[in-house]
Amino acid sequence: MRLLLLWMAAGALWAQSGDLAAGRAAFVSNCAFCHGTTGEGGRGPNLTTAQSVHGRDEASLRRVITKGVPGSQMPGFGNFEEPSLTDLVLYVKSLSSRSAGGQAMPGDRARGAVLYQANKCAMCHRLGSEGSVFGPDLSRVGAGRSAAYLRESLTKPAADIMPEYQGVIVTLRDGTRVSGIRINEDTFSVQLRDLTQKFRLFQKDEVQTVQDAPRSLMPPYNLPPKDLDDLVAYLASLHGGPAGNQTKQAEGIR
Amino acid sequence: MRPVCPALFLAAAALAQNSPYPVDVPAARIVKALDEPQNWLTYFGDYKGVRHRALNQVNTVNVRNLRVDWIFQIPTTGRFETVPLVVDGVMFFTAQNGHAFSVDARSGRQLWHYQYKPAEGTADGLNRGLAILNDKLYMGTVDGHLVCLDSRNGQLLWNTEVASAKAGYSITLAPLAVKDRIIVGVGGGEFGIRGFIDAYDAKSGQRAWRLYTIPEKGEPGGDSWQADSWKRGGAPTWMTGTYDPDLDTVYWGVGNPGPDLYGGDRLGDNLYSCSVVAIDPNTGKMKWHYQFSPHDTHDWDANETPMLLDLPWKGQMRKLLVQANRNAFFYVLDRTTGEFLMAKSYARQTWLKEFDAKGRPTPLPNTEPSEQGTRLCPGLAGGANWMAPSYNPDLQLFYVPYREQCDIYFSSPPKFVEGKAYWGTATRGVSDEKEWGVVKALDPLTGEGKWEFKFYHAGWGGTMSTTGGLVFAGDADGYLVALDAKSGQLLWRLQTGAEIATAPITYMVNGKQYVTIASGAALITLSLP
Repeated sequence: MRLLLLWMAAGALWAQSGDLAAGRAAFVSNCAFCHGTTGEGGRGPNLTTAQSVHGRDEASLRRVITKGVPGSQMPGFGNFEEPSLTDLVLYVKSLSSRSAGGQAMPGDRARGAVLYQANKCAMCHRLGSEGSVFGPDLSRVGAGRSAAYLRESLTKPAADIMPEYQGVIVTLRDGTRVSGIRINEDTFSVQLRDLTQKFRLFQKDEVQTVQDAPRSLMPPYNLPPKDLDDLVAYLASLHGGPAGNQTKQAEGIR
Repeated sequence: MRPVCPALFLAAAALAQNSPYPVDVPAARIVKALDEPQNWLTYFGDYKGVRHRALNQVNTVNVRNLRVDWIFQIPTTGRFETVPLVVDGVMFFTAQNGHAFSVDARSGRQLWHYQYKPAEGTADGLNRGLAILNDKLYMGTVDGHLVCLDSRNGQLLWNTEVASAKAGYSITLAPLAVKDRIIVGVGGGEFGIRGFIDAYDAKSGQRAWRLYTIPEKGEPGGDSWQADSWKRGGAPTWMTGTYDPDLDTVYWGVGNPGPDLYGGDRLGDNLYSCSVVAIDPNTGKMKWHYQFSPHDTHDWDANETPMLLDLPWKGQMRKLLVQANRNAFFYVLDRTTGEFLMAKSYARQTWLKEFDAKGRPTPLPNTEPSEQGTRLCPGLAGGANWMAPSYNPDLQLFYVPYREQCDIYFSSPPKFVEGKAYWGTATRGVSDEKEWGVVKALDPLTGEGKWEFKFYHAGWGGTMSTTGGLVFAGDADGYLVALDAKSGQLLWRLQTGAEIATAPITYMVNGKQYVTIASGAALITLSLP
């Protein structure tokens, strides 16, 4: 009776077993925020495709869920314990088995690579050890972001800004405005990096105002539909290692 | 509180010049703790929880000269949440993971060190401090024990198991010494425990009484729990309570019902979760209770300081209990009867429709956590939380540190496994809105805000107030600040190098006033040059 109530409360009408229903409920509550309510991706990658750089076997899923993915936005959910973890793993596995390799990307990734150069994306972004540290590293962006998310990031960059890339505008006492990426901010000080990669350091009592930039520091790109498809296809294909980050970190850049 | 003549307390401080070590703190001394402002004799510094000291050597004029006097580095990692005790020039404090120390309060030089070894397999844990009674110290442990130490040398005198760590219990609070007993509460509200408050004989460690904070079937309030949910309904008691010697009553905050965010298996009010309970310390019997959040599903526990104030309420002096609750409301109760007198929001809240005359809240519709997520203020962590408020009786201002934040509350039914997390899902921060920390000065009779000081990040630091016209507070980024008690103006600050997640204290030795705060792995003490 009690178990029946649990099932009903979970509201999982399509589920075939109680464990899967509990797993879906746990997914919706904990994972949908990034991976979408149906697991088809958002800020986090699409989980309905069969491929995954981290593996879709049970042990890999367990590891990724509880420990997270270092260097990515995926946090560890250490509070998942048995039997909830098994339920969740079962549900995530069921997501990838529903798809036969995911949807084909409409664009031409080779042409997208040319567009990446033509639009000077490397002025702010980096691939491997090439490019700038001003904006997010894109070396692995295809592994961590859905195509829909990438498309939105190009056309509406302000739709989702990672906190570590929040733009800040400091207005000095003489009215000069200094903008950049926020490195750190507290009650009394703010540290930012400007477009020329220079650190700019301020005490708040020495400036007029410190404000979050209302929009993303990345401009929206109004590309022709074909170009957009191609660029998204290229970005979605980027599954490189974190070498770029490590190179920059070795050079003393965070 | 009676105002203390500065000349008197300076004379008292001078008497402490040659510390009578070993120390002796009989219960009668704790009752009058505010009369010896040079010392800090309980977790809150006194029984009423006001965290205010009649010390004014450091004041609004000279606080800008305050500088670090000594730093004591603890040999362990984790969050340092202790509040030290100071008795006649000797300081006692705990650190996380079972450490306790005694140091010379003027130099920070160590007198002794004790380390408790928890049961194998027990995770490391935080600790908020000690109780002292006569010449003995009392410390709770991460694996649910209460230990008694000799204050002269840190030797273990007795060790009593309060509750089983395997079943999810732990003790993080500083115990409370009342008469010849030591009162403790337990943590574990997220692990399916059944909460309680215990009293132990200070000399022998034998249990004198236990008050379960969840009644069983057949007891008064037992019908406020569905089926057998009372057996694992949480209602933990993880923060130190207060005590009124005149009414001979102990007041203790009770935490949230479990599972925290899913209430579908525990229909009913879930007494005495999210309540304050008044207890006869002689018998452990409950005198009255008031429930702030009936059938809570937001983890809005009521473990925040139940501060005791005597104030004229509508022209008549009354013994009051005030609490800035985690649910974003400041409450005033009559502490003799438990009568609800007033509640007013001190932080952003989006859940309340109205209170009835007895103080029972009616929530707005669609404020329950849900599978798809429900956006609500305050967030899961509050509002207020364990961060200590303080009270300046001369200005009649209550200083509350709190978190200004909202959350998206998700809910799904969890499975119960003894000793394992029993949350009923989780919350997410609201990413399109800033969070910040606040110290707010309130008129305790109206709940009206008089001033507020904003911290950039929402944190876990508490406050301490002095007759020097100062309020000290710590923040998430490691700043210790001194604010003008009247205006909230920033007068001084120190970057301590690590998050501050506890409250400062002040004391005096040899005619010199000190301020101490725990931060990171350092206990930092400041004074004027």
